[in-house]
Amino acid sequence: MKAVKHPESELPALSKALLEQERRMLLDLGNDITSVRDKNDLLVLFSKRIKSLFYFTHTIVTLIDYKDEYYHGFLLDKENSPIRYHPLYDQLVTSRFNLNEPFIQGVLHADGPVTFQLEEVMDKPGSPVFLRANFEKGVKEVLMSRLMKEGRPMGFIHIYSDRPGSFTDEFRSVIKGIAPQLSGAVSNIIKNEEILSKEREKSFLLDFSKDLAAVRTKEELWIAIQASLNKIDTLRGYFIRTLNDDGTTVSDLGEQVKARYVIKDGLQNRVLESPIPLLFNIDREIQRGVGVSYLQSWRRMGFNSFVGIRLRNGETNLGLMWLGIEEVNIHLLQGIASQISIAVANIIANEQVIRKQEEQAFLLEFSNDIARIRTKPDLQAAISRVLDGALHTKLAMIRVIDDDGIHVSPFMFDRTLFANSEVNFDKMSTTRITVEEPYTSRVLASEDGLLFNVEEELRSGNTYAKLWKTTGLKNMYGLPLRAGDKNIGTIWLLADRLSKLILKGICSQISIAIANIRANEKLLDYKKKLEVENAYLKEQIGTIYNFSEIIGSGKAMQEVYRLMSLVAESNTSVLVWGETGTGKELIARAIHNASPRKDKLMVKVNCAALPANLIESELFGHERGAFTGAIDRRIGKFELADHSTLFLDEIGDMPLEAQVKLLRVIQERELERVGGKHTIKVDVRLITATNRDLEAEVGAGRFREDLYYRLNVFPIRLPSLRERPEDIEPLASFFVAKYSRNTGKKIKRIAPKVIQQLRSYTWPGNVRELEHFIERSVLLTTGDTLDEVFIPRGAIAEKQLASQPGSRSLEEVERSYIIDVLRRCAGKISGAGGAAEILQIPGNTLHSKMKKLGITKPDYFASK
Amino acid sequence: MKIVVIGGTGLIGTKVVAKLRQLGHQVIAASPNTGINTITGEGLADALSNTDIVVDLANSPVWEDKAVMEFFQTAGHNLLTAEINAGVKHHLALSIVGVDLMQDSGYMRAKLVQEDLIRRSGVPYTIVRSTQFMEFIKGIADQATEGNIVHISNVEFQPIAAENVATFVTEAAVKPAVNGIVEIAGPDRMPLPEFVSRYLKATNDQRKIVPNEHGNYYGAQIGNTSLVPAGQAKLGSIGFETWMRSQLQHVS
Repeated sequence: MKAVKHPESELPALSKALLEQERRMLLDLGNDITSVRDKNDLLVLFSKRIKSLFYFTHTIVTLIDYKDEYYHGFLLDKENSPIRYHPLYDQLVTSRFNLNEPFIQGVLHADGPVTFQLEEVMDKPGSPVFLRANFEKGVKEVLMSRLMKEGRPMGFIHIYSDRPGSFTDEFRSVIKGIAPQLSGAVSNIIKNEEILSKEREKSFLLDFSKDLAAVRTKEELWIAIQASLNKIDTLRGYFIRTLNDDGTTVSDLGEQVKARYVIKDGLQNRVLESPIPLLFNIDREIQRGVGVSYLQSWRRMGFNSFVGIRLRNGETNLGLMWLGIEEVNIHLLQGIASQISIAVANIIANEQVIRKQEEQAFLLEFSNDIARIRTKPDLQAAISRVLDGALHTKLAMIRVIDDDGIHVSPFMFDRTLFANSEVNFDKMSTTRITVEEPYTSRVLASEDGLLFNVEEELRSGNTYAKLWKTTGLKNMYGLPLRAGDKNIGTIWLLADRLSKLILKGICSQISIAIANIRANEKLLDYKKKLEVENAYLKEQIGTIYNFSEIIGSGKAMQEVYRLMSLVAESNTSVLVWGETGTGKELIARAIHNASPRKDKLMVKVNCAALPANLIESELFGHERGAFTGAIDRRIGKFELADHSTLFLDEIGDMPLEAQVKLLRVIQERELERVGGKHTIKVDVRLITATNRDLEAEVGAGRFREDLYYRLNVFPIRLPSLRERPEDIEPLASFFVAKYSRNTGKKIKRIAPKVIQQLRSYTWPGNVRELEHFIERSVLLTTGDTLDEVFIPRGAIAEKQLASQPGSRSLEEVERSYIIDVLRRCAGKISGAGGAAEILQIPGNTLHSKMKKLGITKPDYFASK
Repeated sequence: MKIVVIGGTGLIGTKVVAKLRQLGHQVIAASPNTGINTITGEGLADALSNTDIVVDLANSPVWEDKAVMEFFQTAGHNLLTAEINAGVKHHLALSIVGVDLMQDSGYMRAKLVQEDLIRRSGVPYTIVRSTQFMEFIKGIADQATEGNIVHISNVEFQPIAAENVATFVTEAAVKPAVNGIVEIAGPDRMPLPEFVSRYLKATNDQRKIVPNEHGNYYGAQIGNTSLVPAGQAKLGSIGFETWMRSQLQHVS
């Protein structure tokens, strides 16, 4: 190369004095270098020392960038530079010069310093522009030497002079000598700069971290971020956007009015997917067709490019940061981003903790409220206070599963909620649905309930959704109510948003409350039932009959027993009919006691004893307020007799209208309380009794034929006492024993005469008459033998006979009456208790009458 | 044009950078040494600004299966994302002939993932799949040596000189993207033990070669023809003998 004037080999040996000078200067320079702190100081000191020996105008150091093989200014002595006022100076300071051109290649490949005459090299192709700039300001020569680091050129020292011939051999020799030292100093400066810049970064991040550590809310965070980021000079603007709850949008931190920016806008999604900060060129993105509004507004604000970096905590994106910055300092940006991420994550966690605490406190309060609840109105009040007042939630409906496990009845609903709707809510709400109803079954089957979006449901044609829509709330939450793991119902809540914790808490509390209320209601029911049963028991204890046994072993009664034992086990309705006082209730109880229902109390209703207008409420019960005077709910006899037996005595005396209702209950096996809305299923065994001839009553139109057939499924006819005279003696003995015990007398026997007298009586009042009769006789007896009875004569007997219908001849009447009396007197014709005595004719007369009328023993001993 | 060569200071990278510069392009030799790191993203955005072409010759600094996969995934993702942002018009990556046939190897799995990332990125691309380099032969022999014996499987081999690789890569880089695969190989095809044997002989290496039929290459199971191009491939100009002579000169 022409420009190279003095190859190293030609350098002459230096004079001794010069060597000494050089040695001293190097020593001084060495000391200088160790004290250098600012990079340009090095050049000033270097110039000062060299200038003490040689003349030159100024010097600079350039560094090579191997990444693209360019070199650029590093150390500049602007004060002494003759070109500092050159129009190109500022540009030259920041320019980069290609390493692949002959001028600098010459320096690169030379072993020592090389001198160039500017005039000769500056216009050669590829020559760097700074040569001409210097020349234009009077510089004539330049001495170039490479600076080496680890065996590789790291840069150059340029020494310029405006005097030709300034760079003597000695000068070059000195430069060659100090070049390594200079290289070392420059490397140190580079290292120092790196360390310093890292130090600055670190202290910035440390300060930033300190500022953010105290932050508890998003507002505080925004203030802290602003304070720190404003310290970065190159940062022209920034936005920090945090992810919204919906997971698809972000909103600016620090903005009062939260605009929501969709993440998938072609920019933000790229940032969130990139682990490294991304540099965006606004024009390029607009060209690409990214049409987001903020891109345009940033361009109007004068940004050309900006950096996007995601905020991330672990594997979770929290948001992103947009920075109006032209260069990407990865360490700093990532440092900032991670600090902000931690702060945001902390705030979110903090907010969650606070929210959770609030929710828990809230649930605790609710739970306290619930604990006090005993009735439905209490619950309604508590729910509306909590849901409406605190949660901006509307209770649409609570439905509970009925005891049958199939139907789901409305338990509670908010009437006001649907005040504006045109739907007949009363009608809709009282319609019973079943657990199979699609929405109900889905909710019951779900673990934690289901969320129905009102809009979506509306579109899919859900009829309920029209109702929901009127509230303006966004979601319907359908949740199962469970006590333990048993479904007890569903709750329907309308709200924009509810947390899982709250939902779960509310549901379990309400479940408990409902379970409590229902248990309470049941308890009250049981209590009432027990009270009624108790009253019955007391009543029964007071009755004169001892039900434990029925006395009578005669043929007629044997037939009754046979029928009873046939029917007792079944649920068949039994109609007991017989004359008054024959013991129909006794038979009914005996049937009940022999049936599987015996563990429960038989319920008795005397239809004749009830006023017609009360029969209905007595039998079926009534709701509170069903009619005037119905101040409390009353359980009817049918309900009371559920799973037991209902004994309807004197059924023949029941008014016709009541018969209709009774018929319905018998047919459907379910009833409605007076004033009640729901039907109640009952399982009742019916035993009815009458002393009337029901068939005749039906014929006379006083008894419903259909009811008669229903009741007359299994008739048992009780024989009258006069049909079973053989039972009179045991019955009499039984009553004597009973009443002598009651009165404290010791009657042990009944005189045979008395027995005979008893047998001869017709007993129109049957066993009851006998009992009363004996009671009176016992009271009148003084000894230990009942030897006198006072059988009524005349009136009753005659009346009894007069009641016998017939259109028979006198002889027939006479004959049958004599047979009848003989039968009662067990065939005894004359003497005490004999037929003659009753007929008040002499015994012989009776004998002859019998002969005349052809009455023989078989007539009055034959069974009927 | 402005071209960024990732891995621009490596074996192929240095040559490609030089060739591209010779063609007059503005080339940035990117590597962690020159301050451009595809893993951390350091310097990447600045380097790629206004870049037309990116040539990715980077190799994983570690060889453990999981680490290699992570390297190619992270680097690939970062690089392509930055390229999209910078509006790069051609992405060229150097891959390996038979990469899809040698999925027993963790390294090959990672390279295939890298290829897939490129194919899905939307950036116009060319994937240059090269056979093994002649420069690898010594390493192949060394890793298969036990005592004085070299155990090498008898698989087909068609190595290419690094110089030729650089030439092909350079040519492909400045041409428009083909959005597909270009295969390159050396001019000679022989069984692998034959190449190793010739190399050892030429370098006076006393080790003895024992070929086997295990289909083993660097510990991975491969097919007999996995390492050679199946169809049309561009063949390098430097034959094995020529290459060896130049190497020996270089050594001496």
